[in-house]
Amino acid sequence: MFDFAIAGVQAPFFLLVLVGLTVGIVGGFIGVGGGYMVTPALIVFGFPGYMASGIDMTHICGKGLVSTVRHRQLGNIDWTLALSMIAGTMLGVELGIRLLVYFKNLGISGVVLLMTSVALMFTLFLYTQFETRRAHKKMAEMEKAGEKLGRELQTSNLPKFFQTIPLAPIIRCRAARVIVSMWVIVLVGMVTGVLAGFLGVGGGFVRVPALVYVVGASTHIAVGTDLVEIVISGAYGALRHSIEGNVDMMAVLFMIAGAMFGAQVGSIATSYVRGPAIRYILSYSLILATLGAALRLTYVLTGQSVEWLSLTAVVLTLGEMIFLCLFISSLVWFAVRRRGGKWVPDWVAPLVI
Amino acid sequence: MKWFINSMLGYWVLLLVISLGAAAIIYEVWLKGRV
Repeated sequence: MFDFAIAGVQAPFFLLVLVGLTVGIVGGFIGVGGGYMVTPALIVFGFPGYMASGIDMTHICGKGLVSTVRHRQLGNIDWTLALSMIAGTMLGVELGIRLLVYFKNLGISGVVLLMTSVALMFTLFLYTQFETRRAHKKMAEMEKAGEKLGRELQTSNLPKFFQTIPLAPIIRCRAARVIVSMWVIVLVGMVTGVLAGFLGVGGGFVRVPALVYVVGASTHIAVGTDLVEIVISGAYGALRHSIEGNVDMMAVLFMIAGAMFGAQVGSIATSYVRGPAIRYILSYSLILATLGAALRLTYVLTGQSVEWLSLTAVVLTLGEMIFLCLFISSLVWFAVRRRGGKWVPDWVAPLVI
Repeated sequence: MKWFINSMLGYWVLLLVISLGAAAIIYEVWLKGRV
């Protein structure tokens, strides 16, 4: 047990290191901050809600920086895309916060937040599953036919539509190999920013699919570029929370200790897999988070009287983190086996490099 | 048993059961009564 004096909580420090490690691996791999996993986990460990949010945001900034440096070394960041997006993201976050204040004044912010989260994450889960399964099937057919597989394959027609919008200035994103109107990127930043500001999260789980399915970036570039946005918005959030006294630096340090290692592992793991594998993990993360949020919503709507709903939400939140880490680690393990000429299941072959 | 490795759905189910089991143990050992 460790005494976190500022938060006024006693908690096992290794659990914080473990949370940092697991969320670091997942965040480095799918390009999310992991706010939707960390905040509930910290509340579960006994931290007050506002403190959980502040600690989460501060640790996201540090972890995002580590992942961003590693993704930069791997060539996964498109700076033109990232910098064009920032203006829209910041404006969107401000609009999202104002929207949240509006619902807070009506006294229905909690229920609206959970309902929006459930609807948004479930829709994204359905779309990513549908598209990724199609891409996976196509890759399996190509491999059977002996054709050379690239690092990326996506079957969505949405990027083609958005790339043909003729609004000047049209910009060329070299790393992402995309030519698109700057306004499309700014709009994507703004819409994802509104959702991030409204839901109080980094927004990676919305921004990564948006970069892939709207802008047309490859999944690896989407992950790296999104992390740049997370560092910037995380730094702003960390500063605001520190001023408000919502941050216990000892808790942040324990989490960063795990996250520093996890973020490196997660980022390096992306170089062992093809785009659809990352989208699968993102999709699984979304459905598990949806289930957790749906349970919490039901718990709130039933007047917080059904105890097993709360207990199941706790177990599901922890289980989700363990599940994602196991899945990512096993994909890397399968990739290493395949490189060594050893047997791997048929469904794995098209997903790993 | 082979289905859990050779099918993606099976593998998903296998990992999910292991993960939720581990989470339930963590809850039982460290968190019960504290949350």
